[in-house]
Amino acid sequence: MTVLELESLSVRFGGHLAVSDASLRVEGGRVTGLIGPNGAGKTTTFNAICGVVPPSSGRVLLDGKDISSAGTHQRARLGIGRTFQRLEVFGSLSVADNIRVGQEIRRSWSRRKAALPQYLDGLGDPSPDVELAAILTRLDLVALADQPVGALPTGQARLVELGRALAARPSVLLLDEPASGLDEQETDAFGDLLLQLASHGLGILLVEHDVPLVMRVCERLSVLDFGQIIAEGTPAEVRANEAVLSAYLGTGPTPAPGAPGAAPVEAQ
Amino acid sequence: MRTFLTATIGGLSTAAIYAITASGLVVTYTTSGVFNFAHGAFSMMAAFMYWQVHVAWGVPTLPAIVLVVFVVAPLFGALIERVIMRGIEGTSEVVKIVVTVSLFVALLGLANVIWPPTQSYTVLPFFNNAALSIFGVKVGWARLIALAVALAVAGGLRFVFTSTRLGIAMRAVVDDRSLLQLNGGRPGRTSMLSWAIGAGLAAIAGVLLAGEQTLSATTLSLLVINAYAVAVVGRLRSLPGVFVGSVILGLLVAYGQQYVSSEAAIGPVSLSGAVTAIPAVMLFVVMVLQPQDRLEARGATRVPTAARMPSMKLALWGGLAFVLVTAALGNLIAGPDLFKVAGGYLFALVMLSLVPLTGYAGQISLAQMTFTGIGAVAMAAWGASGSPLAVVASVLLCAVVGAVVALPALRLSGIYLALATAAFGLFCSAMVFNQQDVMPGLSRQVPRLALGPFKISSDYQQLVLLAVTFALVGIGLVALRRSAWGRRLAAMKDSPVACATLGLNLTATKVAVFALSAAIAGLAGSLAGRTFISDEFGLPASLPVTMLAVVGGIGSVAGAFMGGIFLGAFPIASTVFAANAIGVFRFVSLPVTDLVAFAPGATGVSLGREPDGAAPQMAAGFRAVGESVPSLVVSFAGFAALWLLARLDVVGGWAFVAAVLVFVLAVVPLLPLLFNPEDMGRKLATGIFVGLCTVVTVFIPWDTAIASNGMRALVIVLWAVLVVRTAIGVHGAVPDVVPRGPRTSPDMVGIDTPLTRADAVDAGRVLGIDEDELDLVTGRSQ
Repeated sequence: MTVLELESLSVRFGGHLAVSDASLRVEGGRVTGLIGPNGAGKTTTFNAICGVVPPSSGRVLLDGKDISSAGTHQRARLGIGRTFQRLEVFGSLSVADNIRVGQEIRRSWSRRKAALPQYLDGLGDPSPDVELAAILTRLDLVALADQPVGALPTGQARLVELGRALAARPSVLLLDEPASGLDEQETDAFGDLLLQLASHGLGILLVEHDVPLVMRVCERLSVLDFGQIIAEGTPAEVRANEAVLSAYLGTGPTPAPGAPGAAPVEAQ
Repeated sequence: MRTFLTATIGGLSTAAIYAITASGLVVTYTTSGVFNFAHGAFSMMAAFMYWQVHVAWGVPTLPAIVLVVFVVAPLFGALIERVIMRGIEGTSEVVKIVVTVSLFVALLGLANVIWPPTQSYTVLPFFNNAALSIFGVKVGWARLIALAVALAVAGGLRFVFTSTRLGIAMRAVVDDRSLLQLNGGRPGRTSMLSWAIGAGLAAIAGVLLAGEQTLSATTLSLLVINAYAVAVVGRLRSLPGVFVGSVILGLLVAYGQQYVSSEAAIGPVSLSGAVTAIPAVMLFVVMVLQPQDRLEARGATRVPTAARMPSMKLALWGGLAFVLVTAALGNLIAGPDLFKVAGGYLFALVMLSLVPLTGYAGQISLAQMTFTGIGAVAMAAWGASGSPLAVVASVLLCAVVGAVVALPALRLSGIYLALATAAFGLFCSAMVFNQQDVMPGLSRQVPRLALGPFKISSDYQQLVLLAVTFALVGIGLVALRRSAWGRRLAAMKDSPVACATLGLNLTATKVAVFALSAAIAGLAGSLAGRTFISDEFGLPASLPVTMLAVVGGIGSVAGAFMGGIFLGAFPIASTVFAANAIGVFRFVSLPVTDLVAFAPGATGVSLGREPDGAAPQMAAGFRAVGESVPSLVVSFAGFAALWLLARLDVVGGWAFVAAVLVFVLAVVPLLPLLFNPEDMGRKLATGIFVGLCTVVTVFIPWDTAIASNGMRALVIVLWAVLVVRTAIGVHGAVPDVVPRGPRTSPDMVGIDTPLTRADAVDAGRVLGIDEDELDLVTGRSQ
C-alpha cells in the first residue's frame, strides 16, 4: 500500500533546479531506497517532503491526501518523520532527553489520534518510561542514556536521531545517510533494525551511500541524478541499468567537470 | 501645493541619508553576518567628530570631511572588526546582537563623556545654508548634496559587489567562511574591509546630518531604527530594497512633519510623538507583510554547554538563603542607599524575565523595560490600594501585549525579534509613555502592594518583597527548565528544524515563551512600589538590561541577579566615589562618574571571549560548597557572625564590607577542600590562615586609616586578592574548575591554527584509535 507519493515534484533555488519533475512512491511495510551521487538532490527531496523547502511545482501525497501546503510541524503530525544528513541532535541534552523530547512533543498533539503504528515492542505503551526504555534498548543506547549527545561520536548521534524520530511514531520515516559513521558490524545490526521496523508496517525512504546495505534492505530503488529520477526498480534491475552506471562512474553524456562523479555542491 | 512640494523634496533628501546609513548596515550584515546595532552610534560619533574637527579646531569643511569619512571612520570600523567582531565569529545570534548592543551603549556613554550634553553642539549646513530655487521651492544645497551622495553610494556599491573580485569575495565570506579560506581567500581581510566600508557609510550619514540639527548623541544613535525599518524592506540583504524603503520612509516622515502638528490628537490620544513613531510602525507593517521564513537544516552545533541545570533542592535552599541574606544586609543599610539597592533588585527581576526567553529558548528582546513600564502603569491605574488582583491583571496584560508584539517577528528569524522589540520600545516611548493620561507630567507613582491587612510601608519591606519575588520566580524558572516544556525549549534552541519535524509548532512555542517573559518583566513593574519617570521605560534604558543579563550569564537565575546588581551598583558607585578619579597616564584623569557612563557597555563588548557569561564561571567555584553540608553550615555561621558584629556596631561599615569580601572570596570557596580528610596538616594550616585573615580584616581601621572612598575600595580589593593568593600558596594548586572547550572546527585544523597533539587525539578518538596506537601511527613518542 502506498503511504507517501511524490507527483512530479520540482524544487528551484533561484536559477538552479535542484529537483526536477521527480515522482516517487514509498510503500508501507517496505524500505524504499533513494540513491544518487552527491549533489543529486536527495536531501532537497527530503526537505520538500517534510515541508522545510517549498516545492516550485508538483505535489506531495500522504495516504492519498495532498499535504503540499501544510507546514513542517503539521506534516510531522500527519505521520512524516525524518533524520538529517548533517546532524540536528539536541546537543545540550542527554541521549535519554533527546528521545524524551520526541515523546513529549508527540504526546502534546497525538492525544486524540487513532492508533499509531506499533513497529517496536513497548512503543505506544501508556507509560513514557516503558516506551523510552524500549527505544533505548532496541538501539543499544542504554549505557549512554545519560551522556550529553554533543559529546557522542557521529554514528551514535545518528542512532539518537533515529530514536527521537521513532518516539514521534511516524507512518513514514525518511532516513538521510543513517549508516555513515557506523562500522561494519553496527551497519549489519542497523540493517536488521530497518527490516524489523518495516515488517511491522513502517514505510521507510532511505538515502544511503553504503551500497551493500541498500542492496540488502531495499525492495525498490529510485536513482536521482542532477535532480531527475533516472531509474526505478528492484535493486537488481537498478544495478544493471546503464544510465545509473554512467551517473556513478561519470562516463555518460553529462560528465561533470573535474573528477569523475563530481557534481555541484548540494543545495541545502 | 507648495508646502507639499517642499515636504516631498525634504523627504527625498532625508531618504538619501537613510539610504546611505542603511546601505552601510546591509553591507556589514551581508559580508560579516553581524547585524550592527551600533551602526547609528557610528554615525553619531562621526557627526561629533566632524563638529570637533571643523567647529572646535577650525579645520575647513573639505579637509574635515575627508579626515572623518575617509580616514578616521574606516580605521575605526576596521579596528572594531579586528578587536571585537572577529572574536564572536561562530557564536550564537544572541551573543552577536548583545555585543553590538553593548557597543551602542558604550559609544553613547563615551560620547556623553567627551562631549558633555550640558553644552550645545551645532554645525552650519554646507554653503551656509545657501539655497537654490526649483519649481519655486527653495532647496538648500545641503539637501542636494545628500541626494547626489546617495546616488553615488548606490552606484559605487553596485559596482563593487557585482564587478570586482573583492566584492565577490565579500559575498562569499558570509556564505561559507571556511570554504573561502580553503580556496585561498582571506576572510579576515575581507570582513575587516566590509566593516571599514560600513563605518565609512555611517560616517557620511553622520556628517550630512550634522548640519540638520543640534547634535544629540541619543537621537543620532537611534537613527539606527530608521535604518532597520528601511533595510527590512529588502529582507536585510538587498540594496535596491534599501533604496525603495528609504524613499517610502523619508516621504512618510516629511509629510508627517508637515501635516501632523505637535498639538494634534485623536480623542484623548496626543499625536505629539507620531512622527517619531513612524519608523517603528513601518518596521512592523513590513514585517507582517513578509512571508514566513524557511527553516534551515544546516547541522546543529554540538558543543555541550557549560551551564549545568541546578537541582530543585539547590534552587529551594538557594532561594531561602537569598531572602535571608537580603533581609540581614538590608537591615544594616540606611535610607537612600536602601532605595538604590532596591533599584538593583528590580533590575535583577527584569533580567530574570530574560532567563526563559534568551537563556532557555535562545530568543532575544531589547524592550524589557517597556514591559516593566506597562506593568507599572497598569498597576498604578488599577491597583491604587495595592491590591494583589491588580498585580495579576497587570501581569496578564503584559503577557497579551508581549504575544501580540512578538507574533509577526517570530515567524521570521531571530534577528527580527531584536528589531521588532527595539521598535516596540521606541513606539511606546513616542506614543504611550508620553501621554498625559498614562504618565501625567512624564512620571507615575506605582502603589505599594497590600496583602490583606499587611501593607508594604517601608523601603526595607519593599526590598524584602522584591527579594521574595525574585526567589519565587527564580525557583519557578528552575522548575520550568526541569519540566517537559523546559526540555522542549532547550531542544528548540539546539535545533528548531528537528523540533518542527517532530510536530512542534515553533511559532506558538516561541510566542508562549515571549509572553511569559513579558509577564515577568511586567510583574517587576507592578511590584516596584516607587515613582517612575518615562525615560526609565525607553529603549536606551532597556538595552543595558538585556546586555548585562547576558553578561551575567543568561542561562541561570544567579546570572540575572549578578547582572541586576551590577546595573544597580552604578548609581551607588557614582555617589560613593563622586570625589575620586582614576588616573590614566599623567595627563588624563578620568572621573569615576564618567567611567560609570560607559563601563557597562565596555563590559558587554568583552562578551565575545566568554559567551556563557560570568555566572557559570562563578557558580563552578561555589558549586562544591552547595554540595557539602559542613561547608554550607560554616558559610552561613560565618556570615551570621559578621552580620551580628555589624548590627551591634562592633565593626564599622567599611570593615564589614571588607570582611564579607574576604570571607566570600577567600574562605567560602576553600571550605569544601578543607573538609576533605586528605592531607590534614596542610588543610588545617590553610584553614587557620584564612580564618585569621578574616578576623584581622574586621579589626583594620578602614574608616580612619584611609582618606578617600576610592582608595579604600581599591585597598580592600587588593587585600582580598592577596588573601586568596596566599591561601592558595599555602594550600597548593587548586584545579581549574571550568575546562575550556575546543573552539576551532575540525575542518579548519591545520589551516586556521597549527595541528596540535590534542587535535590528533580527538581525531583518533573518532576513528577508534587509542592514544598509544596514535603515537605508533604518527611516529611520535611524546
